Amino acid sequence: MSEYLDRYGRAKSVCHRLPPRLKLLLSLAAITIGMLIPPAHWPAHGSLLCVLFAALSLARIPFRFVARRLAGFLLVVLMFGITVPLSQGFRGGWEMMAGIVFRGIESFLAGLWLVNVIPFDQLLSTLRHSGAPAILLAILAFMYRFVFVLWDELDKMRTARRARSFDRGGAIFRWRNAAQMIGMLLIRALGRSERVYGAMCARGWDGKLRTLDE
Amino acid sequence: MHIPDGYLSPDVCAATGAVAAVAVGVSIYKLRDVLADRVVPLTGMMAAMIFAGQMVNFQLVVVPVSGHLIGGVLAGLILGPWAGCLAIAMVLVVQRFLFSDGGLFTLGANILHMAVIGSIGGYAVASVVRRFFRNPRVGTIVGAVVASWVTVVAASALFCLEFRLSHSPEDFKFGNLFALMVAIHSLIGVGEALITGAVVGYVLAQRPDLILTNAAEPRRGLISGVGRVTAAGTVLALCVGAFLAPFASQLPDGLDAVAEKHGFSELGRSAWSLFGDYNNLLPTGNWQSLSVSLAGVLGTLSVFLLAMGFGRAVSLGSRAVEAGRE
Repeated sequence: MSEYLDRYGRAKSVCHRLPPRLKLLLSLAAITIGMLIPPAHWPAHGSLLCVLFAALSLARIPFRFVARRLAGFLLVVLMFGITVPLSQGFRGGWEMMAGIVFRGIESFLAGLWLVNVIPFDQLLSTLRHSGAPAILLAILAFMYRFVFVLWDELDKMRTARRARSFDRGGAIFRWRNAAQMIGMLLIRALGRSERVYGAMCARGWDGKLRTLDE
Repeated sequence: MHIPDGYLSPDVCAATGAVAAVAVGVSIYKLRDVLADRVVPLTGMMAAMIFAGQMVNFQLVVVPVSGHLIGGVLAGLILGPWAGCLAIAMVLVVQRFLFSDGGLFTLGANILHMAVIGSIGGYAVASVVRRFFRNPRVGTIVGAVVASWVTVVAASALFCLEFRLSHSPEDFKFGNLFALMVAIHSLIGVGEALITGAVVGYVLAQRPDLILTNAAEPRRGLISGVGRVTAAGTVLALCVGAFLAPFASQLPDGLDAVAEKHGFSELGRSAWSLFGDYNNLLPTGNWQSLSVSLAGVLGTLSVFLLAMGFGRAVSLGSRAVEAGRE
């Protein structure tokens, strides 16, 4: 899963050297501008897309990575967007859908640029310095820390299941199996959270997150 | 499932964002008393677990597409509504920043649909349904199944309302969109209901204490009786609206009919007194129907908040009585 996340966040480029808060603001600005351009102004949307692609290549994010992520995103957004012309008739519907898809792509690329020029922990500390609520950031940091652990746990469970069932069985069997896997993951995660909480208390946890950059 | 940027207009984004921010704020406030320094590890781990659990694919039988868990009701049942809401909200934030799933401006709407309706509303629906069963295990499973389906459909109904508010009312066929979205989401809801039911059933078989103690202890349950019924009623009202809208679309304006039905059946009197003169809100020709429905939404929310405050006052009173007895 690691390739999906902030894969190029720690690479080096002009964009990575910008101050963290400026990166956040730039990405927000790009999304806001995309929202403000009226749907039918295609040249404006096109030039915003050019700027975004230029920013992505300045950050030295490989085009294949962008294209693969964009393809996955487009699949979802088109499936979602097709409901508009289907329900609104094909005359005005297509234009409405095109506007939606363009804005979606702009927002997606701006987000992709942001996570790939700034590592997640730095993003969190930038947000903290900008005044976001500390408890939410602590939860996010905790979640980011343990989501990879749980993914590994899930992988182990999948391997064990494959070793036993050879991925055979009917639809009902598979569904029940998958649901049991989630249930098992849930039980293990809650148990782990108890243990981690105990360990955190033993190290003086008082509900406040402290980081090295303070 | 996640709404990308561009679907909703800025004002609708702002409104849904405000509601979502209030819901998250209330959740944090509620949790401070109950969980204190446990909030971070418990909610964070639950959020990570839901996030990881969404990687488990459920193969559909007929079409070569696979679905996955959404998790709002599951989180609500395990952690209680407030922590569940917080956990799902955090899942959505991480999905937005790391996966670019859903939009930045529509994040509020997504939190409203999946975390607030899913977790708080789902918890409310489940605990109302649970009362009809003697056996707590059967009641919990049936409640989880019903709540999952209802919350998915209610969220899609709410999305249609927001989409309608975002676009100009002329040459916009609201009924068609509603019928299509609700038809799709009632199928998705069946999937979510089956997954949640199976997971809850498994957890009940392995570690019943994780779910049942939550139901038995009113303090961890956290939503009082009145608030619970109100939340369930709001979610059900959206659901009922979802089914009425396609039929109501035969009328000149489907949404007005629904808003009126909401107004009369669910909002009660206070909505009329608070936003009694609908047209005063946005008094321009084309905006009339918009302001009616906006008033409907605002009315629903204000009644919801009032009921929550009322429920809190009642539960504080009863707690004081209990303390006095001890």
